[in-house]
Parts: sequence; C-alpha cells; structure tokens
Amino acid sequence: MFDKIAGRALVPVGIVVTGFLVVCFVLLYAAIKNVVIHDSVGHANNLAGIVLKSTRYAMLKSDRDLNSTIIRNISEQEGVEHVRIFSKKGIVAFSSKPGEVNRQVDTKAEGCIVCHEKQEPMTTLGNMQKARTFKNSLGKEVLAITAPIYNEPECANAACHVHPASQKVLGILDIGLSQEATLSSLSSIKMQMVLFSLLTLILTTAGVIALIKLSVLVPMQKLQEYTERSEHNSNLKHPANLPYELDKIAKSYYFIRNKLHEIEKKS
Amino acid sequence: MEQAENNRLECAGDTECDTRASLRQGLLDEIKRLRRFSNRGLWALSLFLFVSTLAWREFSFLPRPEKIVAALGAPPSSKIIGMVLILYTFSAIILSLSRMMAGIRHKSSFCHVGYLSVFYLFYYFAEALADNYWAVFGAGLTILCMESYRIWTFCNENIGKKVEQLAFLDRTGRLPPEDPLSE
Repeated sequence: MFDKIAGRALVPVGIVVTGFLVVCFVLLYAAIKNVVIHDSVGHANNLAGIVLKSTRYAMLKSDRDLNSTIIRNISEQEGVEHVRIFSKKGIVAFSSKPGEVNRQVDTKAEGCIVCHEKQEPMTTLGNMQKARTFKNSLGKEVLAITAPIYNEPECANAACHVHPASQKVLGILDIGLSQEATLSSLSSIKMQMVLFSLLTLILTTAGVIALIKLSVLVPMQKLQEYTERSEHNSNLKHPANLPYELDKIAKSYYFIRNKLHEIEKKS
Repeated sequence: MEQAENNRLECAGDTECDTRASLRQGLLDEIKRLRRFSNRGLWALSLFLFVSTLAWREFSFLPRPEKIVAALGAPPSSKIIGMVLILYTFSAIILSLSRMMAGIRHKSSFCHVGYLSVFYLFYYFAEALADNYWAVFGAGLTILCMESYRIWTFCNENIGKKVEQLAFLDRTGRLPPEDPLSE
C-alpha cells in the first residue's frame, strides 16, 4: 500500500483529518455537556429557592399541616423525585415520603458531607457545591440540591418557637429532580454532533481523494500505461491533456524513445 | 594471470580491501541503525497505550485529586485544558507534516508521550478525565501514528539509498558520488 502514491498521499491525510475531527468533537461535546449541566444546576437551585419561599410563611406561622401539603404538592409535580426539609440536628421534619419523617440522617451522608466534612460546618455554599447526582432505587439519574434555610430577623423574633439570632442555619431543604430530560437532550446533541462529524469527515476525505485522483493519480496512470505500451510500439504518441509537469515528462520520454528508435534504425 | 587480473580488479592491495570493508561495514551499520530507528514510533505508541490504560483506570495509584488540589491549589479549568490540547494537537500535526516534507531525521515521538501524559494528569486533577479521556486518546493516536509513519517512511527511503550504495560499492569498489538533487 505504501509503495504507491495513492497510499502515501491518502493514508496520512485520512489519519490527520479523522484524528483532529475526533479530538474537536469530544472536546466540544464535553464543553456543551458542562454548560448544560451548569444550567441544569442553576435551574434546580432556582427551584429550591422557590420551594423555600413557598414554605416560608407556613414555617413562620409554624403551620405543619400547611407545610406538609405544600411539600406533598410540589413532590407530585412531574420531574420532582423527592422533597425533604431537615432540622438543624439532621432530623427529617417534612418529606414527600411520610415514612422518612423523624428519621435521623448521618452527617457523613452524601448530601451532608459537603458542609459537615470539617469540625466546623460550612454555612454558605456555591451553586455547584449544593448539587449532587446519584441513581435512585429505580435506577433513575437524579440531581439533588441541598439548600440551607437561613435564619432571618422575622424567624429570630417569631412567636412560635425561638431561634436565637446567633443561629445562622435553621435547617436544610433537600430536593431531588429527575435528570431524564437533561440526559435526553445531551443524547440528542451527541447524536447530531456525531452525524455532523461523520458527514464532515466523509466529505473532506472524499473531496481529498477525488481531487488527488483527478489531478495526480489518473494522469500518472495514463503516463504509466503510455510508457508500458511504447516499449512495444515506439511510434505511439504521448497522451494529451496531462498536467504541465507530467506532460513535460511524457514529451521528454517520447523524444528519447524516438531518438533511440532512430539510432537503432541506423545501426 | 587471469586470476591475478581478477584479484587486481577485486582488491588492489590490502589497503583498498580494508577501505572497502570498512565502508561496507559502515553502510551495514547505518542500515541496522535505520532499521532500529524505524521502530521508534511503534515503541512510543505502545508506551502511550500503556499510559492511556492507566488513565482509563483513573490513575488508581495516585492520590485523590482533592489532596493534590489542597496541596498545590486549583488546576486550570477543563475548558482551558481543552483549548491547549487543540492548539497542541494542531501544532504537532503541522510540525510532523513539515518534517515529513523536509525529510528531516527527528526523534520526537517519546516527547509527545510525555506531553499527552501531562494532559491526562491535568484532566485528572481537574476531575474532568472521564469526559475528556477520548479527546486526549484521539489526539495521541493521531500524532503518534503520524510520527510513526514519518519515521518509517524516512527510514525506508534511506535504507533503500544505503542498499543502492552497498550494491555500487560491491560493483565498483567505491561509494557513488553524492546526488546534488537529494540535498
């Protein structure tokens, strides 16, 4: 294969174009996936904020029934996997699954370790730090947000139960959202990018092969056939319409053959 | 008398015999060196595949990225690493192609294995290796295949020239004049 011009010309081109396209495709997809996931976490954080604002009045009035109803209604929304509110001590105060209420959660659990890793728990978290992904018992990919419920002046001064003003965090909201839609979008983006890359690869490779074949290989083939045939027939005229360089070679070869034929005739 | 004439043609004196033998040996040694050099690209590719296997297993023998980040600070973002990877891949391919066109003997394969290993490590420390593994693998395979091909064609061409010189030496007792077009 590497003895012929076709092999030497086309194999490196094929390797370079394919390889570079694969690298660009993978990096672009990774960048898009990063942006999509960041957006997804941003929206999930917004939703957690909406849930906290929805339950704020009920918590201020210490209306447990109202709070439970709000949590239950939110959890019935499509795409919401679970909603929980923990107290500061890690006990589940409200949950979309009634069986979880009053359960104690370990501070080393996945959603809790981010703040409780060190002896002094963290009180503020960035958007991405609040997020974690896992597979639930049904094998579904879930994005969970752990949002702290901060103490506010109305909470510290409320008549229902006393939170000292020095207590910065009153509890934690843990909301889990299904990632099916996001993963489906990413899969769709991936397939479209694969298709686009394949088409570009085929077009580029086919274009290069066609151009090289047209400009170099076919004229070289004509020249090769001419030299082989003129060994048996020295009157054969050189082929026309060759590229400039090959035309010069063909004409020189024709001239040499004619001279040789004349010398052979004379001798 | 005929035998003496033959001996004269074959080797006029011990000195000339020694010169021819040493030239012959020199050419054979050069051919051997070129044959060894032609495998350089494949060795580099094998080493890269080994490093890629370690990266595939998330460098299990290294400390966790969090510990490294705690000791050395935050790594560059995966976006920056990706941009540098594209720049590096592009430059390496262009360099390899230009060396191929110029017919330069350049032993560059193993340094690419080093650069690519560093990319794997940076992605590992940035905790983005899973998403970007195939980008580094694809880049490495492309660059090292190009380098292997370049080295292999360079060696094949030069081995062919040396074999022709050897045949000329055996026929005439001296090396052929240097071809001005080949420089």
